[in-house]
Amino acid sequence: MRALLREADDLLRAEGRHALGMLEFPWLRLALLVIAGGFCFGASMGCFGGRGLQSVYSAAKMPFLISGATLVCVPFFFVVNVLLGLAGDFPAAMRGVLSSQATVAICLAAMAPVTLFFYASGADYPTALLLNGFLFALASLGGQITLARHYRALIARDPQHRVALAAWLILYVFVSVKVGSILRPFVGDPTAPTQLFRATAFEENPYASLYWSAYWILHK
Amino acid sequence: MTVVLQSVERLLRGELTRSEDLQAGRVEASASKLLAVTLVMGAVAGACVGIYPAIRNRPEGFLQMGASTLKVPLLYLLTLGVTFPSLYVFSALANSRLRMRETLRLLLIATAVNVTVLASLGPILAFFAVSTRSHAFMQVLTISTFGVSGLLGLGFLRRAVSHVFQEVAKETAGEPSAAQRMAAVASATQRARFIFTMWTVVYALVGSQMAWILRPFLGAPGLPFVIFRGTSRNFFAGALDALRWAFE
Repeated sequence: MRALLREADDLLRAEGRHALGMLEFPWLRLALLVIAGGFCFGASMGCFGGRGLQSVYSAAKMPFLISGATLVCVPFFFVVNVLLGLAGDFPAAMRGVLSSQATVAICLAAMAPVTLFFYASGADYPTALLLNGFLFALASLGGQITLARHYRALIARDPQHRVALAAWLILYVFVSVKVGSILRPFVGDPTAPTQLFRATAFEENPYASLYWSAYWILHK
Repeated sequence: MTVVLQSVERLLRGELTRSEDLQAGRVEASASKLLAVTLVMGAVAGACVGIYPAIRNRPEGFLQMGASTLKVPLLYLLTLGVTFPSLYVFSALANSRLRMRETLRLLLIATAVNVTVLASLGPILAFFAVSTRSHAFMQVLTISTFGVSGLLGLGFLRRAVSHVFQEVAKETAGEPSAAQRMAAVASATQRARFIFTMWTVVYALVGSQMAWILRPFLGAPGLPFVIFRGTSRNFFAGALDALRWAFE
């Protein structure tokens, strides 16, 4: 536990094994941080209404929510880097991406007491959703700091990295929204039965829902 | 008591947050003394808040006064307890020189300053409690004193955080060109601003809700004494309702 906390501290401060410009790519340690941090926040997010099983489900799903989209997007990211003539920098770019996701997981774990406190103080379901969404936004901001830290050196070396980074961010967000939609519920509506995935998890399309909502608002 | 008063004086004079110490990542104040200052000053402030119900709502008002005396220091310490992990993570992410123990001490200093300012506004609250009948006015006045003390505490923290990052700015200012030097200093300033903003957002979010669940502090006329009013709804829903009522 102590070693894991020290690892997290090093990553946040970009020191030790996680210092910028190191040749070593500590992917296993980064994955461990994503799993531990995601598990911690997922467990607290899922215990809304005191449902232990939902808490276990959310804890198990959270690391996939943080890093699931990466697995899907890596091939495209590699091709973009190669096309832009940045193949040599790909390991450094991936290190930045994974480090930023581990940072998100650490930030989320650190904010788990905030979620638990609001649940304990009697937050209702819509408030719980809104609060966790807000905490996710704060944690993402933390992840962006680590990503920018890694990319600063890469962009100084070759400005084409800006294009690769933009391509990554657009695709990652696009896929993450769908991953999040599949992995729902995380908080769990207390009036609905506890479930790992929703029955319509693989049929729902958040973008189609968004389109029809916009259509309905504009034509009502 | 003398130790607490001496600590308060050192605290307000900035002897615990000297620029050169913070730049070197040192915060050498004693955590137990800071805790004692927060507890004593918080209790003084809480007792002053409780004077109004004690005068206007006897005999239960004295119970409310006792409850407020305990609840005000609790409000600040529990908020710090819940938010400290997030505050530390954002601080480390901004490459602060302060390690975990030093970060905790700095935040305890800021809390102690905040509570001391609140206690110093206590006589004003007491004066108005003695000379005012309106419960609504006392509510606004109490919230305003909490707000003013919070702002002064934040100002103190902001200055301390900028000292922490001054050394980082100096180090990075060894860049060869003037443009790079300016960029390095700007980056350190940005980081100081980032950490301060994140701390304020997280602390305000939890602090507001903590105050909501620990209420009542002032008690309501005509209602029986309760230690807590329960955890129904939340601070933000309450604030929105209050705004709606204000404009209806």
